[in-house]
Amino acid sequence: MADRQLTTLLTQLRTPSLPFPQSTTLLSKAKLLLLQLSALTPSPTVPPAHLTLAREVYELGALHSLRAKNPDSFTRYVSQLQPFYELPPASFPSPSQNQNKVTALWLLFLLTQGRYTEFHSDLEGLSTRASVAEVESDRFLGYPIKLERWLMEGAYDRVWKAMKKGEVPSEEFGVLCEVLTPQIRREIASSSERAYPNLPFLSAQSLLFLDSEGAVVDFANSRGWIIKDRTIYFPTAAELNSDEEGGGEQEQEKEASQMVIENTLGYARQLETIV
Amino acid sequence: MPGKTPDKEPVDNAGYRGGNNKMKGKGKKGEEEKMTVVVPPSKKKDVEGDVAMDVDDKVEEEDVGEKTVADIKSNFALLDRAVALFDARFTLRALRSVSSIRKRLTPDVLAQVISETYTATSPGAEIAAGLLKAIGREEVQLGGKAGGSEMEIDSEPKAAGKNGVKKEQKEIIPEVDVFLGILTQVLLHDNKQWQQGLEFSRYLIEKVQELNRRTLDSLSAKVYFYFELFAEQLAPLPPSSQSTIVAIRPTLLAALRTAVLRKDTDTQASVIVLLLRSYLLTSHISQADLLVSHTQFPENAANNQVARYLYYLGKVRAIQLLYTEAHNHLTAATRKAPSSACALGFSQTATKLLLVVELLMGDIPDRATFRQPAMEASLHPYFLLVRAVRVGDLEDFESIVAQHGDTFRRDGTYTLILRLRQNVIKTGIRMMSLSYSRISLRDICIRLHLGSEESAEYIVAKAIRDGVIEATLDREKGYMKSKEVGDVYATREPGETFHDRIRACLSLHDESVKVCDCFGEKGDGA
Repeated sequence: MADRQLTTLLTQLRTPSLPFPQSTTLLSKAKLLLLQLSALTPSPTVPPAHLTLAREVYELGALHSLRAKNPDSFTRYVSQLQPFYELPPASFPSPSQNQNKVTALWLLFLLTQGRYTEFHSDLEGLSTRASVAEVESDRFLGYPIKLERWLMEGAYDRVWKAMKKGEVPSEEFGVLCEVLTPQIRREIASSSERAYPNLPFLSAQSLLFLDSEGAVVDFANSRGWIIKDRTIYFPTAAELNSDEEGGGEQEQEKEASQMVIENTLGYARQLETIV
Repeated sequence: MPGKTPDKEPVDNAGYRGGNNKMKGKGKKGEEEKMTVVVPPSKKKDVEGDVAMDVDDKVEEEDVGEKTVADIKSNFALLDRAVALFDARFTLRALRSVSSIRKRLTPDVLAQVISETYTATSPGAEIAAGLLKAIGREEVQLGGKAGGSEMEIDSEPKAAGKNGVKKEQKEIIPEVDVFLGILTQVLLHDNKQWQQGLEFSRYLIEKVQELNRRTLDSLSAKVYFYFELFAEQLAPLPPSSQSTIVAIRPTLLAALRTAVLRKDTDTQASVIVLLLRSYLLTSHISQADLLVSHTQFPENAANNQVARYLYYLGKVRAIQLLYTEAHNHLTAATRKAPSSACALGFSQTATKLLLVVELLMGDIPDRATFRQPAMEASLHPYFLLVRAVRVGDLEDFESIVAQHGDTFRRDGTYTLILRLRQNVIKTGIRMMSLSYSRISLRDICIRLHLGSEESAEYIVAKAIRDGVIEATLDREKGYMKSKEVGDVYATREPGETFHDRIRACLSLHDESVKVCDCFGEKGDGA
């Protein structure tokens, strides 16, 4: 009885364009039904058919909450899925089609959060499931791995290309990429500040992947860059601190000489004890 | 007297006698001193026995078996002693002899020992039957068919009266049971009978937990160790999450809990290490991390366990990108590893991981590491890797990774090595920046095989921000201009270095003075 209801719920949930409020109500209904079947968590007594149902409910839940940009609920669903993915493949009638997708999304989510430690721990776990080459060539799993590698290297242009609309493996990845975009832009901006003495407007626009000159001006203002003659001048580190360091220079000098004097006095004292 | 079970003394005494009698025939030099306390004349006979045996060894094959039996039995005396004096050192000594006995151990030898040690009516008969069953010698009768043991029993009544046989039964302490159990585990392990081994280990663990004797601590640590080893060998093999090691984790965790409550440091250390190993085998890194953060590794654990623990901890930290911590742990692990050849495998594995972590930290490992004769061959792929990273040649690096990928995967360093890519690039950029005062991005891109000029630009910019190089980029003309290296002598640097050195000299002087004082005082006292 309950499982038939669940199956109908699942068919409804499978439509990706389902608005979030509707999907939440459906999901909570589904979870109640799972509770009736006592299949909320995998235990040895749960029949395989129910396990599959439970797994799909959580997977769809994860995808829906991601589409609705609800990171907390996404995290919850993914952690609920973990015990299901740990089960031997034999306990399900058919392997999950969404497993790699959800795992890849989770990895990308960790990247956007800057949780590199967990990212790498989970990655290590993946390599036991399949060979490394297999993981990397997987359409979904390979994606966050490549992104991470490029981000670490600093090859932002490749990251950017990979994040364009047509390149993402599925719609849900796009949601996370949107989160990643400003982060990458910030990274580029901070390296540009140090690397270039000045930057023409057009270069800056292409470098930062901004759409219009107006956006460049806004961005430059937000970072405190100086715009002169359609060129951006980056305040150098010395200039940034110049206000506070007007007297600071002298102080530093004083500090240095004081240190030398202190050291020399120390040597003299030590020498006295030795001789 | 014979009826007094709880009163241990006479029983123990008889034990010494019994052990001593065995000594007379085929003594071990180590026993001499202790035995002489009980029966002085035995020493002389011991020496004789030793000499006679050396000759026999060469002539008769059978004698090896006999000697092994005697060797095993000689350990019973040690265990007896450990219980009587409550001193774990004797137990450890007995355990140490396992490795030498191991080579000569056969089911027949063990069966003989068991049958001679237990009698059919003794309380340990059930255990003995279990042992015999595990090694596939159920048909052997308990109660000592061999002449040697009868002689022992014969000699007993003189001291203890007519009930000698009964006495003999009582003196079999649980430690001996467990010791024989460990030997059985060793035997099963060497004969690759994994399934039987696992079942037997389960049974033995149950026994150990029932007994709850502090004198069993170091023995039970060993029992768990073999338990895990058996589980690892059973299909499906470890990397899969259905492996037996996952199934035995609850048992190990329960054992850990009990060990902590009983302040059983041996078992505690051993089980923590086993659990870490088990988690890492199935790549449950976060669980391993949680285990480490929720348990306290006993301070006075055996050196070998500490070394293993540090290695596993280093591995966890390396995966978590905490390279500095990983480096500390792994350095300590390689230093704590026994220098003898028996632990060469451990040193090699730990060194490999250490090398990768050093590379990840941006250091270049010492060349001398690769020259150690015992490690040279196994470290060769890593040597090539280090060379590629040092030069900053991305193509070379990738070909080495592809070529030795299987080796790295087997060593469990593959995923870590993949992370090295960015280090190679950074080194390459640094080399460029040092050699050229101005170089076009195009050239950088070609030399480092970066794919596109745009990537090169971003990568160089990032390197500049991370402080890898001192340079500026010119966007319009598309080149990287290295900054002039400033005059170091204009900075505070030389002064600070000078100060550091002086301080080191002064502290050396102070310490020397302290040492001199110390000796002086001692000299005065004497």
